[in-house]
Amino acid sequence: MKSRSHITFASILLIVFITGSLAYAAPVRKKLAVEVGRIITIAGKDIKNGVILIEDGTIKAVGTDVEIPWDAFVIEAKDKVVMPGFVMAHTSSGLDRANENMPEVPFISTFDSIDPISTFFEDSLRDGVVAMLVLPGNNTLLGGTGTIVKPYGRTVEAMLIKRYAGLKISLLPSQSTSRMGHMQRFRRYVSDLKDYLEEYEQKKADAKEDKKPFDEEIDVTKQSMVDLLNKKLTAFVYCDRAADVPKAIEIQKTNELNTVLVLGPDCYKAAGLIAKSKLPVVLDSQLIVWETNEKTNEEEMKVVPMIFHKAGVKFAFQTDSSQYGRRYLWYQAAIAVKHGMKREEALKSITLYPAQFIGVDNRLGSIETGKEATMIFLTGDPLDAQSWVDQVMIAGEIVYEKDKDERLKKLLEPPLVIQEPKDTD
Amino acid sequence: MRIYVILLTLLLLVSAFVAPVRAEVTAIKAGKILTISGEPITDGVILIENGKIAEIGTGIEIPEDAAVIDAGKSVVMPGLVDASAAAPVRGDLNEQSSEITPTFRISEALDPQSKVLKRVVQTGVTTLFVSPGRQNVIGGLGVVVKPTGKIPQQMIVKDEAALTVVMDMDPTQGNRIPRGQAPTTFYFRRPGTRMAIIWMLRKSFFDARQQADSEQTEDPNLAILSEVLKDKIPIHVNARRAIVIRAALKVADEYGLKLILQECTEGYKVAGQLAERKIPVVLGPFYYYPGNMGQYREGRKVNWNNAGILAEAGVKVALSSGEQSGAIDILTAATFAVRHGMDRDEALKAITITPAEILGVADRVGSLEKGKDADIVILSGDPLNVTTRVEKVILNGKTVYQ
Repeated sequence: MKSRSHITFASILLIVFITGSLAYAAPVRKKLAVEVGRIITIAGKDIKNGVILIEDGTIKAVGTDVEIPWDAFVIEAKDKVVMPGFVMAHTSSGLDRANENMPEVPFISTFDSIDPISTFFEDSLRDGVVAMLVLPGNNTLLGGTGTIVKPYGRTVEAMLIKRYAGLKISLLPSQSTSRMGHMQRFRRYVSDLKDYLEEYEQKKADAKEDKKPFDEEIDVTKQSMVDLLNKKLTAFVYCDRAADVPKAIEIQKTNELNTVLVLGPDCYKAAGLIAKSKLPVVLDSQLIVWETNEKTNEEEMKVVPMIFHKAGVKFAFQTDSSQYGRRYLWYQAAIAVKHGMKREEALKSITLYPAQFIGVDNRLGSIETGKEATMIFLTGDPLDAQSWVDQVMIAGEIVYEKDKDERLKKLLEPPLVIQEPKDTD
Repeated sequence: MRIYVILLTLLLLVSAFVAPVRAEVTAIKAGKILTISGEPITDGVILIENGKIAEIGTGIEIPEDAAVIDAGKSVVMPGLVDASAAAPVRGDLNEQSSEITPTFRISEALDPQSKVLKRVVQTGVTTLFVSPGRQNVIGGLGVVVKPTGKIPQQMIVKDEAALTVVMDMDPTQGNRIPRGQAPTTFYFRRPGTRMAIIWMLRKSFFDARQQADSEQTEDPNLAILSEVLKDKIPIHVNARRAIVIRAALKVADEYGLKLILQECTEGYKVAGQLAERKIPVVLGPFYYYPGNMGQYREGRKVNWNNAGILAEAGVKVALSSGEQSGAIDILTAATFAVRHGMDRDEALKAITITPAEILGVADRVGSLEKGKDADIVILSGDPLNVTTRVEKVILNGKTVYQ
């Protein structure tokens, strides 16, 4: 009897194992059709009871009247809401260390520092993020270049979307430097760089004149800054306080840089200035700032996204993985909607706009024909705290399923024993 | 001429005295009223008289002279109760001269002009428990206040509401020798181990019991502790990890103390015991991972559904802001508790009636019932939705935020 039950158990295990391995061994399906209850396309109006047709990881068609080919594998998600995955335009999480000690290190790259097993990436995927620009932290003047990754994969190479993207400039003076010295250091670096380039071009011209071969390459430690000046890279300029904003704008104007402003919570005071400069903005994760009105002595709640929204600034949200609520991009958008921002605009600020800022909007950010089949399946409205990310699809492949998320189960389920043995003393 | 002046003054005086006598009635009409104590009321009316709820229900006739607040389709619920709020106090909350300071009252340090109060009102909180700092083994006496009034006395709902005790490692904080000084200084007198913390606590109650037996009450510290031993004042114990919670239960058993557990990050591990002993818990602040916590990272195993598991086991659970101002408000805490698995009704109770019961003020606040204080929050929609706004806060019948 006992041995029989063992055999039954073993055979069940075997069946489970075989079916399990089959399911996982299945190759990426060539043709997919997803039947969805509601599609939030971001590109246009929401579609009810629509179909998304996917071929080789690319969206071929979206709509209600899409014919499903006979050879397509059908995914039924009629009770789900599907929308493009969230995009983070700026983060310094998931890094071994975010800041280099030296102030001018534009040649280093977060690519070398990204830790694929960091819980940050696991959490990001669970929270519906499909792409993020990982940049150095805010404590280094010329912090280095960034990397665009998806939060999925065991190595940085597997996670990679773009190896070389964005250069971090921080206007927050580090350690013992003053703001004066900090800015001067930046100006001097740029002027030295311009001198160097001039010299380099001169050498090149001289060699051409002398008809000698010219094989001197640009100094690797300066390459990224040269690319910045040539607009091959975008500057992500961190402004700690509102007073840093005019400096950031000055840097952008004098050097004609492609710029995205990364703001601290205090920078809402410079919203008008930013609106005039028409620069895109990544907001701080802290969206509510309290201020004392000196006349009335009342505490006033400043809703940062609303101030920028009213000023006409295009922005993307940021998260803080350690804070309740703020950790989620959808929560940030919901806070803005709570205080009066248009829903569509708020949703764009966590999908399409950040994708534009980091230059991946040709692939990500909306559900449209021709874009990558990267989307999230939600159990309800994205701005409702009771909705969960049920599945995440990246380029036509389901890479996350809530049902199989063992870590999440452990974080939510009670321990096996909640009644402990009594003390016997 | 003079007579007119006198007459006029008299008239003014009389009218000034007569006016308050006539009760002012305010009526709130709302699409949905969450009473918490009972079933929700649709299309109901609340009548407020003298700062109290005079009538609540459907089909109530609104007096002609009543000021009417038409909340339209908004949701009306009782003012929220934060059982562990940031203290509206200027200066430090932790007395450094001793670890055992039961006689210290936070009520004596209240600042009615505090920014904290003005902020907290805007999040819908109308009653809060304020405690001395949590760096002493016995910190002192906490007070239940309302964020209104010009002098501290007007704010107080219940003084000596609980005695603050800490069994976590926080009392060891700051225990270091200043550079270049002898280890005999002021900074090196704090307990350094959990053993010492628990011993100090035990000793205090031991002394109090001894003195009570000998009927000499010379030491005011021990007098307060005697009150605690007589079960007149509950103790609000900060305990995060399961081992600390167990230690707290043990000490409580030894001295017959009435416990309220605070923070309780690992409470879910001992949910059964807490339910059996009917020990209420006040949760908060909330963390995703121990790495986000402070110095000691206590409560190494975080369960996001701590509140849900405790409530399911039958423990009285209150959700609080965890003495943090500017972090998430308690309405959001409840929203996330539901996301993580807590029952909806339980979560709403956990920010209203349950903390009121735990603090011993449920006869006045925590639900919308006839005779209770008119502390009312008007919300733009479902309370457990992030996009819902606090539209109006009424405190003691008066609109304090709009």
